Amino acid sequence: MLKIGYPHLGDYHIPIRRLLQDLFPTAEIVSPPPFTQKTVELGGRHSPDFVCAPFKYNMGNYIEMLEAGANVLLQTGLGCRYGYYGEVQEQILRDLGYDFTFLCFSREKAHPQKIYETCKKLNPNLTFSIFSRAVLQAITRIYFMDQLDYFLREQIGFAKNTNCFTKTKKLFLKELTAENSMFGLYRIFHKYRARYHAIETQMPQNPLRVGIVGELYTLMEPYSNHFLEKRLAEGGIVVSRKMSASFLLFGKRDRRSLHSSRGYLQYTVGANGIDSVVGSRQYAKDGYDGLIHMKSFGCTPELNAQPALDQISRDYDIPILHLSFDTQTGEVGLETRIEAFMDMIEMKRKQQHENYNQSRRGYRLHLHKRRVH
Amino acid sequence: MASAYIWTQGDPIGAVKRLLNILRRQAPDAEIGSIGTTGSARKLIGAMLHADVVKNEITAHAVGTLSRHADVRTIIEIGGQDSKIILIEDGIVKDYAMNTLCAAGTGAFLSSQAKRLEIPIEAMGDMAMQSQSPAKIAARCTVFAESDMIHKAQAGYSKMDLVAGLCRAVAANYLNNVGKGKQIVSPIVFQGGVSKNKGVLAAFQEELGEKIHVDADSHLMGALGAAILSQKKTTHRKPFDFSMLQMEYVTRAHICSGCTNNCEIVQFYRGDTLLDSWGKRCEGSVG
Amino acid sequence: MKDRMETIRSFSCLENFERGDINCTKLAILHLVMHMKIGLPKALLYYRYGVLWETFFHELGFDVEVSADTSKETLEIGTKTTLDENCLPLKIFMGHVKSLIGQCDRILVPRFSRTSKTEEYCVRFWGLPDVVQNTFPNAPIISYNLDIGLHRSEAAAFIKIGHTLGKSKSAAFQAYRAGCRAQQRLEQQNMRVQSTQLHKSDKKILIAAQPYLIHDAYVGGQLQKMIAQQGVTPVFSDRCNRRLCRALSKEISNDLYWSLNKEMIGAIELCKNQVDGIILLTAFPCGSDALVNELVLRRVQNVPIIQILMDEHTAPAGLETRIESFVDILAKRRPYA
Repeated sequence: MLKIGYPHLGDYHIPIRRLLQDLFPTAEIVSPPPFTQKTVELGGRHSPDFVCAPFKYNMGNYIEMLEAGANVLLQTGLGCRYGYYGEVQEQILRDLGYDFTFLCFSREKAHPQKIYETCKKLNPNLTFSIFSRAVLQAITRIYFMDQLDYFLREQIGFAKNTNCFTKTKKLFLKELTAENSMFGLYRIFHKYRARYHAIETQMPQNPLRVGIVGELYTLMEPYSNHFLEKRLAEGGIVVSRKMSASFLLFGKRDRRSLHSSRGYLQYTVGANGIDSVVGSRQYAKDGYDGLIHMKSFGCTPELNAQPALDQISRDYDIPILHLSFDTQTGEVGLETRIEAFMDMIEMKRKQQHENYNQSRRGYRLHLHKRRVH
Repeated sequence: MASAYIWTQGDPIGAVKRLLNILRRQAPDAEIGSIGTTGSARKLIGAMLHADVVKNEITAHAVGTLSRHADVRTIIEIGGQDSKIILIEDGIVKDYAMNTLCAAGTGAFLSSQAKRLEIPIEAMGDMAMQSQSPAKIAARCTVFAESDMIHKAQAGYSKMDLVAGLCRAVAANYLNNVGKGKQIVSPIVFQGGVSKNKGVLAAFQEELGEKIHVDADSHLMGALGAAILSQKKTTHRKPFDFSMLQMEYVTRAHICSGCTNNCEIVQFYRGDTLLDSWGKRCEGSVG
Repeated sequence: MKDRMETIRSFSCLENFERGDINCTKLAILHLVMHMKIGLPKALLYYRYGVLWETFFHELGFDVEVSADTSKETLEIGTKTTLDENCLPLKIFMGHVKSLIGQCDRILVPRFSRTSKTEEYCVRFWGLPDVVQNTFPNAPIISYNLDIGLHRSEAAAFIKIGHTLGKSKSAAFQAYRAGCRAQQRLEQQNMRVQSTQLHKSDKKILIAAQPYLIHDAYVGGQLQKMIAQQGVTPVFSDRCNRRLCRALSKEISNDLYWSLNKEMIGAIELCKNQVDGIILLTAFPCGSDALVNELVLRRVQNVPIIQILMDEHTAPAGLETRIESFVDILAKRRPYA
């Protein structure tokens, strides 16, 4: 019997699990156990030293799933090093003595036709209509999730009852996974959007806002960034992050991004480097209070973008915090730096406000206009 | 003002107990109006003492220094375990950096080298100032600097030259790591435990070509900042009970099996009462 | 350099221009263009395209200045201007660029991305012009973009560079052809030398690495010297037949898409029966090497391999010990040599 396993990526494991269930109704889907320190240690021990952190996290997931009885593993692959993960991971796992089938949809193999053919081999009953329907639904689910998550990240720090958002989100994900029709998905999305909006929040008139950019895995997997977004939200900050799985699916337009980077970059710099720069510039222009740039240690595309980000930070006078995460990132130093960053943007805001009041005492109306977002 | 500067020696709770006893002896009649904690163990000690303010050391240092030197632009801080640079513009923190990778060029490095050379750490500064031709010691990393120093010692350099070389290595290391890419603008204030070392101060002045201020209480700036912040925040509090110093404080770590998240929870007890716990990642998580 | 600036100034002084003496200004610009000095940082892909670049600019009538060999100082300057996390070759490259600023009128910083539909360079090369430009905002950079995935050829990229320097298409194309020929001649000669070395019976070690590590004076240069001191002939992975290497690389890794790494592992496959040992030279923290070398170490058997990691702290003493002990192991394997 097929036992299919796949690595973790934030909350996306929920729609992915549903997708696999649709594609392989007879197979058992082995969800990866949640991340623990042990997962990370396992992954780190069996990975090359300076490979980027996502590789190590994936390895940890794979080993734990194989231990749980999985015999088919999934991997994808795109730009930069990610496209080459699969082959190396498969070799390492085989050398560890596991027996399994490794399905790697990387680069050229990520073509829908090829994916279909590979899936067909595992499940002979699969037809193209079932396949396309399942994929389309999965993409829709991911899109709706990201839409609501964007709203959630901005609001969650200000909820009167902190658990309210989390509980609603849990229900939302549950209904979304259970639903079978496209129209039903659409209905659920609207229902929960209304519910999210109905949750009481105490947002001040002009809250501190921070834009988050960086490498996708670190952004999307909260365990790998030490729950940074949660920490910021707890500090009463509006967290804005545009990069998500649906950004990758629908929003990535390199040509247009190059144009809108306005000379900060002349060329694409690999993976999501260009998107970090465009995003940062947009946040800076929109008057955000700070930027946080996250990546895994040694991430080349983001390192390519970093000088441009520093240039933006100087040009627009917006503080930027660069964070590099590895499997051994120290909790204490990270906490200090984040707290200091939050203090810093708060003090900066206070000072700006005072200066503004002093210089433009007569233009109160103007100030009020500025506050409306 | 009552003050004291002691090493934690791996036991922050015991150190705080000792510290409070010292302070009490210095000012027996003083009443404690507010408490602020800062540094790496700020949460733990904050819970232990019911602090009004628990603040990260970067902000605390900036606030403390600004209270003494209102026009400061750059703060160089080298403490026992870490070092940082804080850039200030118009009285607010504009940028900062911390050493994140290794302990090279911190107080711990200097004290371990002092032990190796068998000289008291307090005497290092004066010894360094007497040197005529400081030894060139690789300023990259503790391990390299150490092997380099042994090599130089065997090549016949005097202790004074070695110490002076070490002080320069600390300054150069700081500027290459923590201070990399930062615009160091004067007025510059140098603080933290290592600022008491005249040799390092001289090395910084030479490297930067600027005058560097060292406050008489330069080692206490973080504490001062935390105190100022706590003063602003204080509410009516119960008078501080010194008898709590006699009590037993313990931390216990365990893995929560409440849900599948398996959070690693650290609980902090006084006797049998739970004071605080950390590490819970379940409720209210975003995204 | 200084003299030239002065002549230009005397030609194009403001008075002349204000008098409407267009000819004088034209002459000045002509002078500037004719005697423009192009700087080539001696790092990264210089070790692969250096002769092509030099010949190309010479043919177009420009002066060319190549930066000096990598020294400790170059690396220190590079380390100061880049983040710690960046790879060693980039730090070296930045050091070279810095040394050329102010010495040249233009500095060549090309961008390499896709070399064919399925192959590409490490993303480090994708962002090179942007990294340099954002780190040194005043650096006079010229750049060409090699991106064959977008139906553009190398020739087109060179014609474009010629165009930005005010040269005609045909002149640029001719210069490019001449450059290619010169580069090919050199490579073929190198290959000939290496193949005779491979057929000799003395002890040989293959240094498998990116070309800019092997031939860099500070990184690979040290290593080459140490190997030679042990009485072993070093052979290089970038001096093998590239087309053959690319085809052979499939034996070790099927999914690999980095051109340089493909050639490197192909060379391992090609030479592994002709050499006594292989040194995988890599720099901290090279992303592509981290993955590829892991696979090589796991998949290539029957020949002793060690991986040597270089970073800015690597001390010669430690390196020497490792090379010596490796050579000792080889001696035990082949007692007759």
